[in-house]
Amino acid sequence: MSEMTIQMGFATSIILFCIGLFTIVSKRNLFKTVIGLTLMEGGVLLFLVIVGYIPNAVPPIHPAMAVMTNPLPQAFTLTAIVIGACDIALALALIMKVHRHYGTVDIDKIRGLKG
Amino acid sequence: MKSIFAPITLRNSVALVLVSFVGWWLWRGLLPFASPAEALSGAAAHYVNSAEIETGARNVVAAILYDYRAFDTLGEITVTFAVVTGIALLFSARTLKVSKEGLSSLAKRGMALMAPFILLYGASIVLLGHLTPGGGFQGGTVLATLAILLCIVYGTGKRGSQMNFKTKDVFESLGAMLFLGVGLVGLVLGTGFFSNLAIGYPQWTQGSIATGGHIPVLNVAVGIKVGVGLSSIFFSMAKVLEVGEDDEL
Repeated sequence: MSEMTIQMGFATSIILFCIGLFTIVSKRNLFKTVIGLTLMEGGVLLFLVIVGYIPNAVPPIHPAMAVMTNPLPQAFTLTAIVIGACDIALALALIMKVHRHYGTVDIDKIRGLKG
Repeated sequence: MKSIFAPITLRNSVALVLVSFVGWWLWRGLLPFASPAEALSGAAAHYVNSAEIETGARNVVAAILYDYRAFDTLGEITVTFAVVTGIALLFSARTLKVSKEGLSSLAKRGMALMAPFILLYGASIVLLGHLTPGGGFQGGTVLATLAILLCIVYGTGKRGSQMNFKTKDVFESLGAMLFLGVGLVGLVLGTGFFSNLAIGYPQWTQGSIATGGHIPVLNVAVGIKVGVGLSSIFFSMAKVLEVGEDDEL
C-alpha cells in the first residue's frame, strides 16, 4: 500500500521533470523557457523529499509519538528552494536585458541577429 | 493546424519523442528504489536521536541546518548574496522615479491594518524556528512578501513607501556578518567553526525559546538576509519598469 504511494510520488516527479524539459525545448518565448526551468526544479525537489519517506511516520519535531521521517532531505530541499528562486530571478533579469538590447524575446529571431 | 500546447513542427515532434524516452528511462531506473525503508539509518538516525540533547533544539531540521551542517547554510547565503549583487549590478539605476501612485485609498487602509500582523507572523516563524516547523528561510520569505506588498499598494512616489536603499544594503551585510561572526566565535575559543553547545551557551528549560545555543541567532541572521535579499531583487526590477525607454541602463 505505501509502496504504491511512493511509486505514484516518483511518477509525479518524473512527469513534472519531463513537462519542464519539453517546455524548455519547444517554446520560442524566453520567459516560457524560464517557466520550464521552474517546473524541472520542482520535480527534482519533490523527488528529493519523497526519498526520505517512512510509512506511518511523523514530521521530525521532537515530542514525537512514532518514528520520524528522514530530516536530511528536508533540510537540503530548503536550501535548494532558496537557491532555485535566486537563479530564476537572475535568469529573468538577464532576459530583461536581452529584451532591452534586441527588442524581442523570441529566440528564433535572436539567433539570426549578429551582435 | 493550431494545437493547444505547442505548434506541431518537426522540432517539437522529435523533442516529444526524446522527452518521453527520457521519462521512460527515468521510471525504469528509479523503480527498484521505490521500496520504503523501515527505520532511519546512518547519519539521519544519529541526528534524530541526539538533536535535543546535543543542540537543545526540538526542530530536527533546524538543528541540521544551523548546527550539524551550518557550513552548507553558509554556502547558501553566499549564493543568495552573489545573486542579489548581480541583479543590482544589472539594474543599477541611481534614482527612484516618482511615477506610481499606488492603489486606491481603500486598499491602502486595508494594508495599513494588515501589515503589523504579517510582520508579527513572519517574525514568529523566524524566532521560534528551533521549536516548531519554520526558521530563517521561511520567515524571511514572509518578510520579503510584506515589503513587496507595501511597495505595490503604496507606490514608489514621494508620499509612498519610502525605502532608503542605503539602509537596505547595511541590513543585508549585517545578516551575513552576523552569521559568520557566530561561526567564528567557536574558532576563536578553540572548539571549532560553528560549534554550538561545546562553547557553553546557557540553556533554560527544554522546549522554551531560550534553548538551542546559537540556533535562534543564526535563524535571525538568515531571516534578515533572505528577507532583505528577496525584496531588493524585487525593487531592482521595479525600478527598471519605471525608468522608461529613453534612459540608459
